[in-house]
Amino acid sequence: MKVLVPVKRVIDYNVKARVKADGSGVDLANVKMSMNPFDEISVEQAVRMKEAGTATEIVIVSIGPAAAQETIRTALAMGGDRGILVKTDQTVEPLAVAKILKIITEQEGADIVILGKQAIDDDSNQTGQMLAALLGRSQATFASEVKIEGGKAEVTREVDGGLQTIRVNLPTVITVDLRLNEPRYASLPNIMKARKKPIDEKTPEDYGVDITPRLKVLKTTEPPVRTAGVKVESVQELVAKLRNEAGVI
Amino acid sequence: MDYQLTDEQRIIVDTLRKFMREEILPLEDKLDPDAGDLEPEDKARLVAKVRDMGFYGLGIPPEFGGPDLDTTTQTLMAMEMTQHRAGLYNPAYGVFGGAGLAQLFEATDAQKEKYLYPTLRGEKSTFFGLTEPSGGSDPARAIQTRAVRDGEDWVLNGSKIFISGADRADFGLIFARTDSDKGRGGVTCFIVDVPSPGFYVRRVVHTLRSTRYATEIQIENLRVPDSNILGEVNKGFAIANDRLTRQRIPYAAGCVGVAIKAQEMAIEYCKIRNTFGGPLASRQSIQWMIVDNELDIRTARYLCLDAAQKADRGEEFRTEAAMAKLVGSEAGGRVVDRAMQIFGGYGMTKDFPFERWYREMRIRRIGEGPSEVQRLVIARDIIGGAFH
Repeated sequence: MKVLVPVKRVIDYNVKARVKADGSGVDLANVKMSMNPFDEISVEQAVRMKEAGTATEIVIVSIGPAAAQETIRTALAMGGDRGILVKTDQTVEPLAVAKILKIITEQEGADIVILGKQAIDDDSNQTGQMLAALLGRSQATFASEVKIEGGKAEVTREVDGGLQTIRVNLPTVITVDLRLNEPRYASLPNIMKARKKPIDEKTPEDYGVDITPRLKVLKTTEPPVRTAGVKVESVQELVAKLRNEAGVI
Repeated sequence: MDYQLTDEQRIIVDTLRKFMREEILPLEDKLDPDAGDLEPEDKARLVAKVRDMGFYGLGIPPEFGGPDLDTTTQTLMAMEMTQHRAGLYNPAYGVFGGAGLAQLFEATDAQKEKYLYPTLRGEKSTFFGLTEPSGGSDPARAIQTRAVRDGEDWVLNGSKIFISGADRADFGLIFARTDSDKGRGGVTCFIVDVPSPGFYVRRVVHTLRSTRYATEIQIENLRVPDSNILGEVNKGFAIANDRLTRQRIPYAAGCVGVAIKAQEMAIEYCKIRNTFGGPLASRQSIQWMIVDNELDIRTARYLCLDAAQKADRGEEFRTEAAMAKLVGSEAGGRVVDRAMQIFGGYGMTKDFPFERWYREMRIRRIGEGPSEVQRLVIARDIIGGAFH
């Protein structure tokens, strides 16, 4: 069974993001970039499936600038088999990503596509669902547990208010949540092996996909600064404030 | 010189950075600010993890089971592993292992069985006994501990100072004079078992480093068998000197690692700390400190990598290692000092790592050969030995 794992190069989760002075976006100059943490979880899931004998080959895909090759190489060091870099310097929105991934999934004959549920840069949480729709496949999103058996996937999903377990037919699209697994550290032997693993270079044009952005960013702002709290003298005053000022009771 | 990391080096550095962030820093947050080690169970767990990753035993040659990494990659790693409070003298709290006494790789097979392999397995601990009360930087003349042949044994008399770990060691190396006329060509290296009759740890020497102390050793009619000579008689100086040269690169890289972290914290802090109605980052005096920090860091980093690359190419790197050590330790001190200044009163508290770095970084200009000796080594190379 072939597994496709898309990975995105994003601002490192440990970096304090700052808005550009003109409000056009987040300042990425001299900022550390890393693999989207949710995508690390997808890679880990695929590698575990390969170790368990469920998956036979793991193909890593990234759509982005030339430097995204580094992100692919990192995924290969974790245990991916080969990579595809779809190179573009343009902003690629979820729908365009899904369209490109659809073609790659079909060309590769991948039975399962495992994606992070969202990327930590734009928090869209759309690509996996769009991809499933374009492919006409089942989807199992926000996975915290995945079991593959007899041509079906049993997936436990993290939903509002608890866990939901569903069974979907393969081929399918799975998006992963934080608690699915703890991604491994790449080992030294695997880092050395990753050098020899092939990465194909493509462009969006190779797949005939128009990636022109459909959305326009009006402005980007810092989150509001939290204001200081107030001290109350009595329970009565607290209740009054909650009722009259906060309007919560 | 613009140093471009290879894909492998970048992934190794990223992996290490993540390991430090997720495994070491959360544990360190819970420790005393002056702690010297992790809790034993935490340490055992992380050592097992590092073994699984294939990184255990940094500095141990691959043929002895260490990871196959060149000096440049190990230098880059040293710059990451030191980026925490205890990092200067206990990078990553030792969970990546280490070579211990690298001189033992040159030992005879019998010596390797008895001393090297148990050390690599972590079963035996060691000390390195070079420096004497008469001096450390000029071992050729300062070594006054004497060894005199007596049948199959050698009889040693003398003393050593600033020796770390001698009170807890199972064995160690003692450099002693075996020919009084020959200067550096009259020093021999002995492997000494602890305890041995005539070997005394006379006192503990406390230093700026609060977590680890040094010791003073007294040697009186200590008998060492001929089979415990490491290398050859009168050729001990080369053994010591080779270690001193090689050790300079990771030593310097450690200073750079701490400086990088101090600078990162200073930059972050000056953006959020407001004085007189504006952030510190908008004040030119602060900006210039940050700029000077960056220049210090980059200069030291390039010199470290330059020395490491020469070592990897198999070229002579004595001068480059001395330059890296000199600039790394001095620049590291300046960067920590400026970062502390930017943090103001908070910089002095034990809530932040600066005060520990400040104390420990001061040692770096003296340990492993003081700045003056590094300048001497560099001068010999660029002016020529005839003038010394």
